[in-house]
Amino acid sequence: METFIQSMVSGLLTGSLYSMIGVGLTVIFGVMRIINMAHGDMVMLGMYGAFLSVAFLKIDPFVSILVWFPIAFLLGAFIYRFLLKKIVPGGELNTLLYTAGLSLFIANLVLFVGTGDYRTIKLKYAIMPLRPFGIAVPIPLAIAFGMAILITIVLYWFLVRTDTGRAIRATSQEPEAASLMGVNVDRTAIVTFALGTALAAGAGVLLAPSLYLYPTVGEILVAKCFVIVVLGGLGSVPGAIAGGLLLGVVESLGAVYVSVPYKDAIGFVMFLLVLLFRPSGLFGVGKS
Amino acid sequence: MRKMVVPLAILLLLAAPWIVSDPFFVHLMIMVLMWTVLGASWNILGGFTGQVSFGHATFLGAGAYTTMILYLKLGIAPWYGIPIGGLAAALIALPIGVICFRLRGPYFALSTLAVAEIVRLVALNWESLTNGPVGLLITTLPDVTFRGWMIDWENKTPFYYIIAVLALGAIAATYKMSRTRLGAYLLAIREDIDSAEAIGINTVQARVAALALSAFFAGVAGGFYAMYFRYIDPDAVFSIALSVEMVFIAVVGGLTTIVGPLIGAVVLVTFGETFRQILLVGHLILYGIAMMLAIRYMPEGIWGKLRLWLGTRY
Amino acid sequence: MALLKVEGLTKYFGGLRAVHGLSFEVRSGEILGLIGPNGAGKTTAFNLIAGFIRPTGGQVLLEGENIVGMKPYAVTRKGIARTFQIVKPFRKLTVLENVTLAAFMRFPSRGDAEAEARRILERMGLGAKSLALATDLTLSEQKRLEIARALATGPKLLLLDEPMSGLNATEIEQASLLVREICKEGVTIIWVEHVLKAIMNSSNRVVVINQGEKIADASPGEVVENPEVIAAYLGTKRA
Repeated sequence: METFIQSMVSGLLTGSLYSMIGVGLTVIFGVMRIINMAHGDMVMLGMYGAFLSVAFLKIDPFVSILVWFPIAFLLGAFIYRFLLKKIVPGGELNTLLYTAGLSLFIANLVLFVGTGDYRTIKLKYAIMPLRPFGIAVPIPLAIAFGMAILITIVLYWFLVRTDTGRAIRATSQEPEAASLMGVNVDRTAIVTFALGTALAAGAGVLLAPSLYLYPTVGEILVAKCFVIVVLGGLGSVPGAIAGGLLLGVVESLGAVYVSVPYKDAIGFVMFLLVLLFRPSGLFGVGKS
Repeated sequence: MRKMVVPLAILLLLAAPWIVSDPFFVHLMIMVLMWTVLGASWNILGGFTGQVSFGHATFLGAGAYTTMILYLKLGIAPWYGIPIGGLAAALIALPIGVICFRLRGPYFALSTLAVAEIVRLVALNWESLTNGPVGLLITTLPDVTFRGWMIDWENKTPFYYIIAVLALGAIAATYKMSRTRLGAYLLAIREDIDSAEAIGINTVQARVAALALSAFFAGVAGGFYAMYFRYIDPDAVFSIALSVEMVFIAVVGGLTTIVGPLIGAVVLVTFGETFRQILLVGHLILYGIAMMLAIRYMPEGIWGKLRLWLGTRY
Repeated sequence: MALLKVEGLTKYFGGLRAVHGLSFEVRSGEILGLIGPNGAGKTTAFNLIAGFIRPTGGQVLLEGENIVGMKPYAVTRKGIARTFQIVKPFRKLTVLENVTLAAFMRFPSRGDAEAEARRILERMGLGAKSLALATDLTLSEQKRLEIARALATGPKLLLLDEPMSGLNATEIEQASLLVREICKEGVTIIWVEHVLKAIMNSSNRVVVINQGEKIADASPGEVVENPEVIAAYLGTKRA
């Protein structure tokens, strides 16, 4: 029983970060029908950002998110405005291929500039895990979880209470109707992409102390992102949150009860099943 | 004059290692030809049929492992193993197709990615069959004579001829297919799948046929890969990177053309390998840039555009 | 025996009842008009007959054989061809290629298929445009292409889904003539149409659908007088 709870807790902690990444991706798809293959690389950039902060600026990675989040936001806006915007009218597949090219470019640029060595971040306060109720909770992951929750709450407030946020949700559901109602679809698109990128990079910053960093980590992450987003329903923010948590838990339980190496495969199998039998997501709220 | 182009090209192809014998260049040409096969393979499904797959490494890896295992465990020489590898790849394409073709467009693409990852993870863990992450290694290739000459496997030239034949085969197959009823049906499916169904085309059958043919060539290239590099492991042959590279070669070269994959391979592989020689890492940066430029300015591919100038439809 | 017999055809989309207990017959050599207000379920009925959607209940009998559950391509091979409400030509292919593809079903060799395609295109007045790309045609031409393509499969029954929409008065006249001629050549026709004048003038019989159910099944003259039909289109007079 204790193993089960331990596993669930680990799963939820990691899952919260998966959720953050997934929300970014789903919102980009929902508003602009862009399948962003470079999303995982944004996470990777966030991870490297955190690493650089610790290694060269001696700033705690969790503090550095305050810097990296806006930078990533601007990067996202730049990428959309100057690169993607002209591609989107060409259709979903063209955009998919283009972002795949972008992904390869970014990952290999980092590989070229840095090296392919696996890196880790060691934090002085992170050696011993916390043990509430006898469950081991690594400190960096706990902090990441907390911040992810915080960010999600802020995001929720943004999407529900602000005009821009509502514009995003409206465009996500019905772009034409939204534009007829006076929503500036163009501006909404840029903000959405920037926001999605920032969320991904932010998740990367938060995850950095808990994972190995290497330039091509984006590859496996983007695959997982799509699992999350499809599970939760493409375009649905609550779906992505639920999907992220679900994937985290399934992987964690899978590692304990099935086998460690196959845990990644479980996620993909689930992904295929959902795509085939419930394309609008487990909760039926997404666009299929 | 026109009629001379193909025979001349083939002649040039066969004579090349005698004209340029520097090992680096022969290796480069081998790589170009291998990627031509892979690009042609992807082009059959992605170009002609319009189904974008991000998991084609599955078939490359299947061919590679089949060839390796047949040789290392059963002593079957690679020149038999390579076509068998292709058939093995075509066989696993059948269930994959039936499952994944229930999805369309980007969802199909993502499902192929998922399948590829599942296969990679299985290969990584099924140690009794694949040796897991340790991989499989060929130490010596069999002694064989060709017309009285003992083949020297340390020299790259024999490999060159093998892949040259495979590349010619892949291009010829693409050409032949495009002239058949199936080839026409695939174009219809690419344009509008519902309309295709409405005019009596069994679109599942047609797509699965295209996938099987495509997988065969990817598998054959995989078998060659195993024979040439002599070492394979799951992360080398089942990687997303390989799948993605196949897409790039086909797209940058020119989708739905016969010669496109060759041009794509020539451009990307030449620049990439040269880059790799000089700077060691990050040669894929070029692939990324090339893809972005192609989609933005030349979605029909380099050859797609070139052939209009040259006035040819291949 | 009727060529096509629809019996108790029903389709629910979740809780939405699109078609309910629809039953009618089509005899060989007829032109049957299918009319009804917007959203009545006409295109759904076509999709059900042609195999693009599976019915929740009921049967579709083609010459006595139940074709429910067959995939669209199989239905086409059995002899039912259809056009789409919003035309779906193979845009980047030529007019000739579009029709040749359909002819391939009965003529596996490219030479024969192309010959048949040319014959049909001439018949439809599109001969001169054989080498034009489908996407470069006018709407009226694209509609004729759609019909040519359907005819190339050699159907016994042709389902026309609003072939007149978007056409001007002259084009509507020509299209009506075309429909009658196709029928004379031996193809039975069911067509859905909103342009009432055209459908009333050219149909042997008319079936009226409202809210997924059949409310009339008679000659055009009788249907026009039917109070239920009038009510369905215009609403009832408030007393």
